[in-house]
Amino acid sequence: MPANKDLRLELMLKMFTNSTEAIFFFDREGKILSLNPAAEKIIDATVLEQLQKGAELAICRACRGYTSSTEIQTCINCYLSSTQPEDFSSFQVFLETKDKGVVPYAATFHSIDPENGIRVFMLRDLSVQFKTQKQLHQNTMMKHVIEAQENERKRISRELHDSVAQELLSAVIELRALKYMKGGQEILEKTEDTKVTLTRLLDDIRNLSVELRPAALDDFGLEAAFRSHFKRIEESYGITVEFKADIHKKRYGNEIETVFYRVCQEAVLNSIKYAFVEELKVSLFKKDDFLQLIVKDHGVGFKQGENPRGTGLGLYGMKERADLVGGRVDIFSEPGKGTTVHLLVPIGKAGETR
Amino acid sequence: MKNNADHETQLQQFQVEHNFDFVAIALVEPAENQYVLKWKYTSGNLSNRIKKVVLHSGKGIAGTVFKTGKPLMIKNRSEFEQREDLFNYPILVFENLRSMGAVPIWHNGRVAGVLLGGYREADRMSDEKLQILIQTAAKGIGNLDGKELMLN
Repeated sequence: MPANKDLRLELMLKMFTNSTEAIFFFDREGKILSLNPAAEKIIDATVLEQLQKGAELAICRACRGYTSSTEIQTCINCYLSSTQPEDFSSFQVFLETKDKGVVPYAATFHSIDPENGIRVFMLRDLSVQFKTQKQLHQNTMMKHVIEAQENERKRISRELHDSVAQELLSAVIELRALKYMKGGQEILEKTEDTKVTLTRLLDDIRNLSVELRPAALDDFGLEAAFRSHFKRIEESYGITVEFKADIHKKRYGNEIETVFYRVCQEAVLNSIKYAFVEELKVSLFKKDDFLQLIVKDHGVGFKQGENPRGTGLGLYGMKERADLVGGRVDIFSEPGKGTTVHLLVPIGKAGETR
Repeated sequence: MKNNADHETQLQQFQVEHNFDFVAIALVEPAENQYVLKWKYTSGNLSNRIKKVVLHSGKGIAGTVFKTGKPLMIKNRSEFEQREDLFNYPILVFENLRSMGAVPIWHNGRVAGVLLGGYREADRMSDEKLQILIQTAAKGIGNLDGKELMLN
């Protein structure tokens, strides 16, 4: 059918000129016969000139090797001169491009006219795909790392709280019993001193346990964990935290509660470290199917995008954590006006557990 | 038994006599407060904020002196700031101390408290001043000696 054939020709031509895939046609000797605009766009001008002149193996000047089963970039058994062209129906090749440096491409190289030895070489840019993959990989990794870290902290924290602290408490109680036994005044005084030391040690261990991961977060939820955290902040740093919560002690998924606790911890510590304030405000509430946290100080503030004080990892970490539960962190800050950290996490009906 | 006001007056005399901008004594709280350490008496203070702070052994100025039993001296806060996070030392921030010394107060072979003397200018703390603090901690301030301090 001639009409059909015309249509096919037209379509083929359109594909050749408008495709985003680079297409090269080679003859038996590896000289270029034709290349499409997408191919012209990626090849460096001087190489392109050589290619168009029909210089032999000119493509080698742009090619940086292909990926074989043994090497990431190799010229051994090159697709262009290989005697087994069927090996190259799908492979990865690296090309030096005009403006993006060396870029990986998904390539196919096969014969379309065995009689005349004409072969076609088609390339699809993989850099976007690679970036997506890398990001996906990074996100999964980050999720696993955070999860592993939380689990490990929880384990050690429980261990300290349930066994080490318990044993120590028994020892303190046993010491207390000595008071009622017959013994010299000197011995009693010494045991009293020992009791003081052990009590302080007990306190230290409990603090360590809470710092790692507060049992209150798992047992009683966000509100309780926040209250005791802020009490400790006041005691340790002499900074008043004004805390408002209207989630009515509701519980959310373990993952979400952890994110809120950690983000809040980081934001509050940042205010203490860098804002030079005496008090800060924290509010926790639910609005429009979002669980939200606002940490606000009226301290020195900072200019966003400027070199951060400290490691600069804190802000990144908060965003990463929020990302894990599909939420986001917004940070507003202005020099002299203070800083506000706003965490929003979508809560479906399923988000509430109790 | 003297009350708190008397102790603070005696501390104030000590501050004036030796020309400190600020002096403070940290003591161990009684059993019902888990024997935590707190800055109990101050003189020359800018505010009472520091008295709210609970010091855990090994943390902050008092906690460090308490745990190690050794004197601690900061001659210049800006040098100190280079290697330590200042927010872990609230007394330096709240009282704006630029140089200071802190020494243990001993009782029955244990550290019962911490005596601190400081200045709001850098480089005013000296080895001689530290000696004064050490001697004072050993013999007590007025009727405020190690034993008295231990009993609160």
